[in-house]
Formats: sequence, C-alpha cells, structure tokens
Amino acid sequence: MEFKVSLGPQHPALHEALSLRMTLEGEIIRDADLKLGYSHRGIEKLAEERTFTQNIYLTERICGICSHSHTTCFVQGVEQLMELIPARRGLYIRTLIAELERVHSHLLWLGVAGQEAGFESFFMYTWRDREVVMDILDWITGNRVHYAMNTFGGVRRDIDELQKKKILDSLDLLTKRTEYYLSIGANEPTFVNRLAGVGKLSREDAIALCAVGPTLRASGVPMDVRKDDPYAVYNEIPFEVCTADSCDVLGRTVVRVKELIQSYKMIEFLLKNLPDGPFKVKAPRKVKPNEVYSRYEAPRGENVHYIKSNGSDKPERLKVRAPTLANYPATIKMLKNGFIADIPLIFAAIDPCICCAERLVQLDNPGSGESKVLSFSQLRTMANDHYKKVNLMKKEAVWPF
Amino acid sequence: MIERLVHWSRVKSPWVLHLNAGGGCNGCDIEILAALMPRFDLERFGVLLKATPRHADVMICTGAVTLQNRDRVLRVYEQVPEPKFVVAAGACAMAGCVYRGAYHSLFGIDQVIPVNAYVPGCPFRPTALMDAVVKLLNSVK
Amino acid sequence: MNSEAIFEKINGEIKDKILEAAIAAPRRISVKVERGQLLSVLAYLKDQLQFTHLATISGVDLGENFEVIYHLSNDTTTILLRILTPRAEPKIPSVCQVIPGAILYERELQDMFGLLVENIPDPRRLLLCDDWPQGQYPLRKDWKFDRPAEIIPGGK
Repeated sequence: MEFKVSLGPQHPALHEALSLRMTLEGEIIRDADLKLGYSHRGIEKLAEERTFTQNIYLTERICGICSHSHTTCFVQGVEQLMELIPARRGLYIRTLIAELERVHSHLLWLGVAGQEAGFESFFMYTWRDREVVMDILDWITGNRVHYAMNTFGGVRRDIDELQKKKILDSLDLLTKRTEYYLSIGANEPTFVNRLAGVGKLSREDAIALCAVGPTLRASGVPMDVRKDDPYAVYNEIPFEVCTADSCDVLGRTVVRVKELIQSYKMIEFLLKNLPDGPFKVKAPRKVKPNEVYSRYEAPRGENVHYIKSNGSDKPERLKVRAPTLANYPATIKMLKNGFIADIPLIFAAIDPCICCAERLVQLDNPGSGESKVLSFSQLRTMANDHYKKVNLMKKEAVWPF
Repeated sequence: MIERLVHWSRVKSPWVLHLNAGGGCNGCDIEILAALMPRFDLERFGVLLKATPRHADVMICTGAVTLQNRDRVLRVYEQVPEPKFVVAAGACAMAGCVYRGAYHSLFGIDQVIPVNAYVPGCPFRPTALMDAVVKLLNSVK
Repeated sequence: MNSEAIFEKINGEIKDKILEAAIAAPRRISVKVERGQLLSVLAYLKDQLQFTHLATISGVDLGENFEVIYHLSNDTTTILLRILTPRAEPKIPSVCQVIPGAILYERELQDMFGLLVENIPDPRRLLLCDDWPQGQYPLRKDWKFDRPAEIIPGGK
C-alpha cells in the first residue's frame, strides 16, 4: 500500500515546512528521505550587504527560540576579528542570558515531548513555568524573545540588585517545579516506557553522522562545546557535561532534564560572582581582513559561525550552520526500521528548532499502490492509539532519578 | 434568523487556523502558542485552534513567504470557507521584517493573499494578538 | 593532546601531503591541502588524531578560485582544512566515504556555488525551491537578481 501523506503547512503548534518521504512495509519504515527549502531565506547573502552592527540583528532572527545563541556566536567571532577584549561584567551577563535561554528552551521542549507522547497536562504545566523565565528575560532585556542584549565589547544593559534578587527567588521556584517533574517520571511508568526504546542511535552512528547536542550526548558521547572549547566565561564556572547511555528518546529527555538542573546551579553561581566594573567597551568600526571560526553550545547542539572580513565595515562571508541541520542525517537513521507511530516522538526528540520541521510525511509502500494523506495531528492520534494497545508495562525502562 | 445565529456564533467564538508561511524565525509561532497556555489563555474567550482549514473562520499567518511556500499558502487560503478573515501577525508577515531583499522570500503575506488585520511586533506579545482578534471581530459586527 | 602537540604531529607525519599549516588562534589550526590529497589527509586526521566531528563545509568565492573549507573538531582543537578549486572547473571530491555526515553540506555547496561534487551519493537539490532556474548560484559574488517591486494593497 502506498501511503502518500501530505501535510499542509499548518499544524496546531508552530513548525515550518520540512517534507519527509518514507517507504513503508506494513507499519515499519524501510527508508526515509528529506526535503528542505521551505524556510530558506538567503540570510548569508543578505549579511554581505549589511554592516557588522546590522548583522547582529539579522543573525538574531535566524531562530526564534535560540536567538541569543546566534548573536553571541556572531559577536564573539567579530570581537576576535577586531582583537577586542570585552568587559568582564558584560561577559558574565552574556553567559547569564545564555543559561536562561537554555532553561526556557528545555522547558519548551519538555512540553512538546509531553504533547507528542500524549501527556497534554504536562505540556501545560511546563509552559506555565516557562512564563516565569520569560518574565525575567522581559524585565532584564526588554523583550520576551529576541533580547538584543549583545553588542561588540559587552552587553547593552546592566543588571541591578533588585533584578538579581528576583532572579534568585525565581530560581528557587523553578528548582522546586523541576523536581516535581522528575518525580512524575518516577511515578508514571507509562510515560517513561512510551519514550524508551524509541529512536535508537548507536554510539558509532552518532559519531559517524556528526550529530550534535543532546542527541549525541544521549548516546554516551561527552562532547559539549562549553567544556571542549570554552567561550565567554565557561572556563570559570564549575559544571558537568550531562550524558546518558540509553541512546533513545528517554536518554535525550534525561540529558535535557539534567542540563536544566546544571543550568540552575550555573545561574546561581553567575549571579553570586558577578564582577563590578563597566559592562561594555568601545569597539572599532572597521575590521582588519582576517577570518574566524566561532562555536557555541546552543540548547539544541553546536552552533557554528564562520566569518571572513575584508577590511571594510561589511563582512565578506558569513556562514552559519544551525544545530538542527547537523542532526538530520542521524534522524533519517533513527527512522529506518521504526514504526510510523514513532515518527512524532523521534522528530520531537532532536528538538527541531522549528526553523526546520513541518512534517510533510510521505509514505510510499512499493507493494500495492494506495495513497493516503495524513495530517500531522492525525499521525499523532494514530501514534497514541497504537500505543494504547501496546502493554507498556512490559518494557523494562528505568527512570534514573 | 439562522443567519443571525450563525453570525453571532462566528463572532463570539471564532475558530482559528494558524498558518506558518515559511520564512520566519518562528518566534511569532511560539507566542501564538503561548497565547493558548494557562497564562494568557485565549480559549476562555471561545477561540479554538483548529488543525484544518476547512473548519476555520480566522486565519493567522506568520512568516515572510518563501518562494517554495507560495503555492501552498494560496491553496490553504482557498480551502478556508467564506466568510474568512486573514490576520497577518508579526513584522515578517506584514512586510518581510529583516528579510527584505532576500532572494528566496517575498515581502509580506499580502503579496499573496488579501489581509484584514495586521499585528506589528517582532515578535508581538500574546496580548497584542488577542487585541487584534477582538478588534477584527468588533469591526465585523 | 593539545593544539600545539597536534600541530607538531601534522608537521612531522604528513608534511609531504600538505601545502601549509599554521596555528591561527588558540585551539584553531589552519591547514592548506591540494585537491587531490584531500581524502588521504582527511582519513589520517580522522583515524590517527580523532578528528571525527565535521561541523560544516564552507565555500568562499575568492574571484579566480573557490575556496572550500572543512571544519573538523576533536575534544581540544578545531582544524580548518582548506582546498582551492578554479572557477573555470569547479570540482571537488566527495568526503562521504570517510565521514558519512557530510552529505547535506555537500548538497548545499552544489546549490549555492555550483560546485560539482564528484561521487556524491545523493546529488539532489537541497535548499532552493523547485522552480529555481538552473545555473543561478546565489552565493557567487557576481550573481545579481531583480526582485519584482512590492505591491502595496490599497495604496500607490
């Protein structure tokens, strides 16, 4: 039966367009294939016509969830080109916003994972807690998304004592809520079993296919740009790289929850050790001809900017590689020999930065010739119905907290 | 009589389709979703998010349209039954935001389909979206 | 092994295969290679020095040549491995046998610059739309395009 699933670009939740063709045999996917291009905007060409300062605001809008990661990666690269040492307090504030962004992104992902697994109330709870972080960011930076805090030499705004106190109080609340979610995992074996065994990616495959971020760390590979190639002030903050060994969606959830807890500790350290002094230094306007390669650990993985300058105030070449693109070959590998019912979870598990995943699911079975069009929410309903029939208590999955 | 009932229910409880037209950063989409979460909660006003264009009254579009997505946006627009309203939400859908001049994206969504309301902001706050839908429905009455 | 030790090893063991190597910045080494030696140098870096992570492949339009840079990382250092290919005959070998994860980056190079990647397992278009005209490569410096003017509904 040939299933052609064609999903129009609407989805109850976000998502841009990514077309995915799969070859089926019964319920098992034998082959999968990608089609990108729905969200291609030509940013690299635009960046060559704008000055470096204008490019800060352009790179911010590459992605809506990890916008600070793109601007920081760009700004720290250009600071190296300018041979400029940024202000210490500015670096601390930059790192603080980076960790706050990681918290809000992982809470968002927990909600999406809950929705894909059929756990709607978990979705609502985590997004309500995410609003706490959004309020903090709104107060410090002026906007809920696209903070525009970075500038060459430091940050644009300072933090005062009242804001510091408020953040520390909110951290207590968030830590309590996150521990509550951990206990959900321990007390809801169906949730854990729904995630276990899905989307397996072995360690060798993860390294060979150049996966990044929690997808890689859930296969047991301790690769994290904050430890390997420290930028900003990460070489001064004590933290651990979080890994898991189960190589499946449960492992990715565990990695992200562990990272949440690490982030809370890091934010507390940053606030308590914030140095005094200026929060930015003056930057030159023109940049000598040189090139730089800047790396950053975004919530989804390794974010990479390659910038080349030619002596004027506009860049010669800006190359951006966002983390989700690096995880696509690994996703294709995970889909093969899996069930159709697992497609929503596998996609959600790599945390598609929405700038990369609308689901046009096209299923071909070369056996017969039938054609079926399923919307993504239909696919999700199908997946949840399938799993209602499976006895999830039979699986042996362990929630490690 | 039935007409008035239908009109009243359409105005009091609009069913909404959320369409992402392609080339945006998706920040606006997350704000639309945040508008349905327990903090802002649009659903208590009768607004229901539907997945299919055939059931929708109001279409909320975000994103600067890319060349690849142009035909699909048109097709979805044609599937929404009359009377329909289109809200261009966010600076990308209004005029292209930062991507003006890019080779793969058009300017705003009004290059492709007619628009009834514009919501400025990059991204707009969830409360701004509520304000836009309320103003739109008041103008219909 | 830190980056100085890696630099010494590269200068010692494969000196005859590379054109030039330099430490560009802390934890960054820049290595220049002939097009024909690319696969063997890449295999050496991957097997002997554990540079298994290919972050991305960048193309730069230098006028007479295209420069293609492979960004490889291990747990301490990043190597920028570069080759030049002339504009008149833009061909590069595919590295997917050595590093299977490079497939999407090579497809992107084909779309954006018009480079021909030899032996690529999957030569389809990646990013541009289906009715994008052939022969138009957006990231080349001499590529211009005419956008039709914006229609302002209800206005002038």
